[in-house]
Parts: sequence; structure tokens; C-alpha cells
Amino acid sequence: MIEQLPYATTPKYNFPNAVQDLQLPQNFIELSLKSMKNLNLEQFHPIETNLFNSITENTDLTEPTLLNYSPPTLRSIPLKPLPQPTTITAIDVSNIKLGETETGILTAIRAAIVWRQSRQYRYLRLGPFPFHITEQNRREIYCLFRQYYFQTPPKDMVGPNLLNMQNRISNLLERWLQMSISTSSHDNIILWDGSLTAGTPDNPTKVLSQLLEIARNRLNTVLAFTKTTTLRLGGHRLTDLTTKTPPPRLIQINHYPLHSSTPIRFLGNIYIAKLTNGGCSFRLDIDKNIPSEQGIAATQKLLGNDLLLQGYPETLRLAHIYSTFTANEVIGIQRFIAQTYGLKIVTRPNLRRLLFGPYGKGPEA
Amino acid sequence: MRLYRKEGNTIQILSFPTEDIEKGEYLLIQDSKRNRSLVIQVIDIQFANIPGILEELLRNSTDDKHIYGENLDPLEVAPHITYIQDARMLVCKIRGTIQNGKLSINTAWLPSRSQSNIKKLPVASLLAQAKISKSRPINLGETRELSSITIDAHMLDGKLNIVTGKKETGKSHLAKLLVLGLIDYGAPVVVLDLNGEYTRLGFSSNDEKNEYHKKVRVLTPGDNFKITLAQMNLRVMMNILFHALDLPGTSAREFRRIWRFLKNRDTLTMHELGETIRNRQCNLHVRDALYSRYYSLLNSGFFTDNHAEATSLEENFHSMQSGGALIINLQDISSIDRQVVVEFMLGKLVELLTQRKLRAVFLFAEEAHLYLRETYWDDIVTRMRHFGVFTTFVTNQPNTIRENIYRQADNIFLFNFTNEHDLEAVSRAAKVDAETVKSVARDLLPHHCLVLGKVVKDFPIVVKVKALDIQTMGQTRLFFTDDN
Repeated sequence: MIEQLPYATTPKYNFPNAVQDLQLPQNFIELSLKSMKNLNLEQFHPIETNLFNSITENTDLTEPTLLNYSPPTLRSIPLKPLPQPTTITAIDVSNIKLGETETGILTAIRAAIVWRQSRQYRYLRLGPFPFHITEQNRREIYCLFRQYYFQTPPKDMVGPNLLNMQNRISNLLERWLQMSISTSSHDNIILWDGSLTAGTPDNPTKVLSQLLEIARNRLNTVLAFTKTTTLRLGGHRLTDLTTKTPPPRLIQINHYPLHSSTPIRFLGNIYIAKLTNGGCSFRLDIDKNIPSEQGIAATQKLLGNDLLLQGYPETLRLAHIYSTFTANEVIGIQRFIAQTYGLKIVTRPNLRRLLFGPYGKGPEA
Repeated sequence: MRLYRKEGNTIQILSFPTEDIEKGEYLLIQDSKRNRSLVIQVIDIQFANIPGILEELLRNSTDDKHIYGENLDPLEVAPHITYIQDARMLVCKIRGTIQNGKLSINTAWLPSRSQSNIKKLPVASLLAQAKISKSRPINLGETRELSSITIDAHMLDGKLNIVTGKKETGKSHLAKLLVLGLIDYGAPVVVLDLNGEYTRLGFSSNDEKNEYHKKVRVLTPGDNFKITLAQMNLRVMMNILFHALDLPGTSAREFRRIWRFLKNRDTLTMHELGETIRNRQCNLHVRDALYSRYYSLLNSGFFTDNHAEATSLEENFHSMQSGGALIINLQDISSIDRQVVVEFMLGKLVELLTQRKLRAVFLFAEEAHLYLRETYWDDIVTRMRHFGVFTTFVTNQPNTIRENIYRQADNIFLFNFTNEHDLEAVSRAAKVDAETVKSVARDLLPHHCLVLGKVVKDFPIVVKVKALDIQTMGQTRLFFTDDN
């Protein structure tokens, strides 16, 4: 007998076992299903997919106005890529309005998490999860979400109006995923889509602070990229500010004053990141409670570990691509809902088109 | 299936992956409110233009080497998305209308887009609706629904037919099927067999004599097919000299004199013809020209002075009164001799038909451009039809048949073509729109043909040609076989 060597299959990559680690709660799926159960052979007015391109996924841009009386100082920080192996994790969530029923709106939510490690990308897509939001169930859904993920007492909660619900649910899912990733990963760079601005109904300061703290405790660094910021300094859009330092570089904005009356708080140091030559500039928020050197080092690790196209991290770009809905998917989900719940599809006339003909752009409000 | 749009005589139908539709099939758009149905034929199948499909494909086109991942889809929405992605657009042509159970070619109405019901229309039902006569059925094969398809021999009678397709798609096989079908109904058939493919029609695949054995006669020029000059009339001989042997006009006039001189003396033989030319007092160049043509005729082996070995076409046709085929085997003879034989055959056929010794004849011409002179095409298609010569051209080079011939073709049996040039040539056939020809013919499988014309009442139908238990002889001879 020739002794056989006990060969074992080599694990493909050493990525975190995403699905098990994340443990997508049954409640979330149940919540989706429960919301859909109240569909009872209703009429369904799907959104027009030919207008799909004009439908943008809403982002809640509740940005405060910076005061002008004491101009903030700008500090240019040149960056050098740090090739020290580090896992980059990006999270993004998309939501889309699928149409309307007689009693509410139908939306779908999908999340994507992308990891970059050892020059490989891995993604996990969660969803799509359809939701039927009505006046009757909107508060219930919202409270359940918040209660489940952030243990916020429901009595504090006033459910948002119907139109904002899809963004709220989407935002809550995103926060939950950020929480899960922060909890399950260690010494990672976590990329968020958006800012570290807190104090809005969507982003309570307590919740966001808690999130950042968990990430910090696990030695993770959160880098939040904002593609379009409404923040202005001296009348100029923040991302239009330039220095003579060549990219890659960060421009740190110090001492940006806020109205004392505003509940809005910046939980991160605000930078303008121009990470590649010829690329775009982005607002970059880095957790205030970590030393700024650590934040800058994290950005340099990002440069050394991820691809940057147009100055934007590829991992975050992929997270957006994998979570976003294509028109084809919207039709597919509409079909799924119509078939599964026996909805009768009725196309509502587009009043804008009816009234203004070719000048009636965009979907019906 | 859903009716999507109509433009001209083209209708687009949205179809889903679960609906198994192929090119060439017929659909029925039933408008129950108007109690009418539109008959349409699928000529092309495309992917439906789904919004966002490009983004979807790009997103999913990543390779496992660089990006891999998983989808957590607990509600199983993904199959619905892929179902939409695979939606197809059937491009169809309107072929007619069924109203009160009657099929008409009325295409001047439009069914309801929202209320119409679309279903497959089996070819058998269509042909039943079209009331295709089956008094003399010839079984061609089967449709995609596996129903047998027969045409009526009546629809080949007095008609001009074209069988065309690229090499090795089954053209000659279908031609043989038609030949045997016509023989079954007592028709006399003449086959100008360029490659000796029809020579074994009287034998089954296991080399035994089949039911047609006595009805098929193979005539090989120079072997068992020889003629005397007495069987030939001057006009046919002059055609041979002019068109096959390029005899100049001055020499032709001298030849006529010689011919008449010999005929009057009742000594019209090859030997006498040679002697007369040799001793003729005429211009030296004329005599040389005549002498060189005489030797061409002599060397062809087609002419004889021995009446015993001469073939009588009259007798051959007489013995085929209950149907039969005369196979003129042109396989091993030179192109000039081929033209000589064909000139004689066509002249003789017209002569017999004019004299009413023959009622009509079905002529099958394989790759006729190789032996048929330019002026004969129109002659065959127009003049000879009135005498009773009903031709079927078989060719793999459709551009060798002139456009005006296609225009006058009553039936076209079209096999696979992939070459755009060939498709362009065939699509000029007036029987059906060019789009149908180009789109359907491009995807025809071997032994499948698109039948166009009167045999199918102008409803183009794709047929899988049935197999024949005969020795086909049409295969390409190969060097590399399993035996060596």
C-alpha cells in the first residue's frame, strides 16, 4: 500500500464568511413578507420603466449650512499609498419605488457588501426585498426596524410619511449592515456611502456614534465618501476647493462653524479627497474620535490596497453597482409581485404626458 | 405571447422563454371580438429590448478570477428577473386572415393588442384551411410538429420550379423525390444528370431493384445513347453548330447546303457528311471550319451510322406511357459534348411535343448553367412551357439563374444558404418577401427546405424532407474514410 498524503482542498480566499457572520435576521424577511401580505388582489400601478433613467435613488441630503463669519482653515495633506495588506469593506444599499397600489406604495430594497482582499473582490448581495408600505403599517414597520437594530424605544418614534418611508427603511438597513460589518470585522477599512453627519431623523446622533464606537473598538476605520455634497465654504462647493499639492492628497477643513440652534452634528473630520490625477474630488469624513494620523494612514492603506477609478474606491463603486436596480430588474420584481400576490396591473395615464405632451418629462409624482 | 407592434406587413410578438417557438412556424392572432384571426409566420427571433439589460449583463459579466460572490435572495425574485431577461421578440410576417373558418389573403386589418389571444397554428391545420388539393399527393416529409406534408403533383404540372441551396443540404434528394412522385402519377420525366446522381434511382439502398427499376432508364451519351443524323432535324443541328461548336455564319450556310444535298439523296450519315465536306468545292477556310466541327461531332461518340445502336427517344417515351424517367447521364463527357447532347435533347423534346407524340414532359436540369446556353433560359421558361416542357432547375449557385427566371418561378424549394450573396439572389424571388427568404433560409438545417409558391398556396412552409430508400449517389467521394 502506498500511503496517500492527506491532501485537502485549499480554501479559495480568506474572506470573512459573510452570510454566517451577518446572520440576516429572519425578522427582516418576515417584515417584507408581512408588509406584502396586506396586498389583497389590489390594483397595481407600476412605475414606467421607460422613465426609469430619470428616476434617481433618493439620498437624504440634510446638510447644515456652514457659517461664514470665521472662515475655516484648510490644510493640505499629501498622501502616499501604503501597501500594507488590509481588507477593504464597502457597504451600499439601494431602494426603488416599484409602483403604487390603492392603499400604498410598493418599494424594493437591496443591499450589497463588497470586500477587497489580496487583490480579489468578493460581494454579497442581499435582496431584493419588496415592501408594501401603507398608512396603516408604515409606523409599525419603521418602529420594528429601529427597535430590532438599534433598540430605540418605539415611543420615541414618529413614522415618516409614506413618501419618505422607502428612504428611511433603506437607510435603516444600511445602518444595520454597517453595524454588522463593524461588529464582525477586525482591523478593516470600512467604506460608507455618505457622510458622518448626524442629528437628522434618519441619522440620530446616538445611533451613528454607537456605530462608530463599535468600529473603533474592533480597530476598524470608517471612511465615508460623499459623491455630491451640499456643504459650501465662502459660497464655494466644498469639493471645488483646491490646493497646489498634487494628488493623491487630502484637504482638511478645520473649524467649520455651525448654527448653535441646529441639532446637526459632524461626527467625523471633514476632508476633501482627491486621490488620483485627473480624478474627481470627494468629501471624505473620518471618525473624529480616532487620531487624525490614523485616519490619514487608513486613507493611505486604501490607496495601497484598492483600485481607484476617477478618484473613487473600486470597492465602494462595486457595492453601488451590485446594489442598484436596473430597469430590467424593476420589471422582473414587478412581475414577481403581480404574480405572487395576484395583483391586477393597471397602467395609470401619465398626467404630465397627457397635459404637456413631449414636454411632460419625468414620471408622475 | 403578446402582440407588441405592427409595421407594414411585419408584426412583432413578445414571447417568453417557456414558449417554444422556432423560425418558420405559424401563429394565429385571434381577435375574439371581431371574430377574425390573423395568420402570421415567424421569420426571425430576437431578444426583446429590455430596458437596463446592458447594465445587467455588464454587472453579471465579471469572472470568478477577480470578482466572485453570492446572492442572498430568500424571496426568490431572481428567476423572475432572468425570465424577463430572456424575453424574446418574434418578428413575423402577415400571411392571411381566417374568418368564419375561411382562409383569405386579406391583411388589411389589425387585431386588438390588448384583447387578442395568440397561439401556435400547426402547419397541418393551415394547409387544411388553405384547401390544398391532394388528388395526386406527393409526400415531401414532415413539418416541425411532425405532421406529414404533402403537395399535389398538379401544382408541378405546367409550372417552373427551382430547387436551390448550398452544397450537401439535400437539393438533389428532394429533386429525386419529386421525380419519383411524378413517375407515380404516370408523368414522363427527363433528367439532365450532370453528376450521375440519378443513375441508381431504380435501386434501393441495399442495391436491390426497387419498384421504379423498370421505369427509370439511364442513357449515357456515347455508350447506350447514340443517334443517327436522320433522327436529327437541320434546325437542331444548326443550333449545335452555332451554340455548342461556334460555327461562323458563312460556314453555316455551306453546311446547310451540304445537309440538304445529303438529305435529298437520302444519304444523311456521318460518313457521307465527312466525305462531302472533304470533297466540297468551297472556300478553304470554310471547308476547314466545317471539317473541324465534323470531327468534334464524330469524336463525341454521340453520333452513329448504325441504326441498330441508335437510340429512339420516341420509343423510349412510348414505353414510359405509364410514367417513367429518362436519365441523361452527363457525368463523364466533356462540356462541349454536354452542350451537343442537351441541344439535341431539347430540340427533340420540342419536336416530339409539337408533333403531339408526347403530351408533356417534366424536365429536371441539374446545374443547368454548365450546359445551357444563355439564350435557352428564356426559351425554356417562356416558349417551351407552351409546348409542354415543365422545367425544374436544381442549382447550388443561385446567381447563375437570372432574376427574370426567379420572377416567373411558380415554386421554389429553398435549402440552407449562409452566404449573403446567394441569399440576395434568391430573395429576389417574387413569391415571398426578401426578409423571409434571407432570415429563414440562413438557419435551415440540412434536409430542411423552405417551400414557396403554388404547391403551398403561397404560404411559405419549412419541411424536413423525408428519406428515400434509393441509392442516392450524390455524396461527395472522399479520400479519408473510416476504412483507410
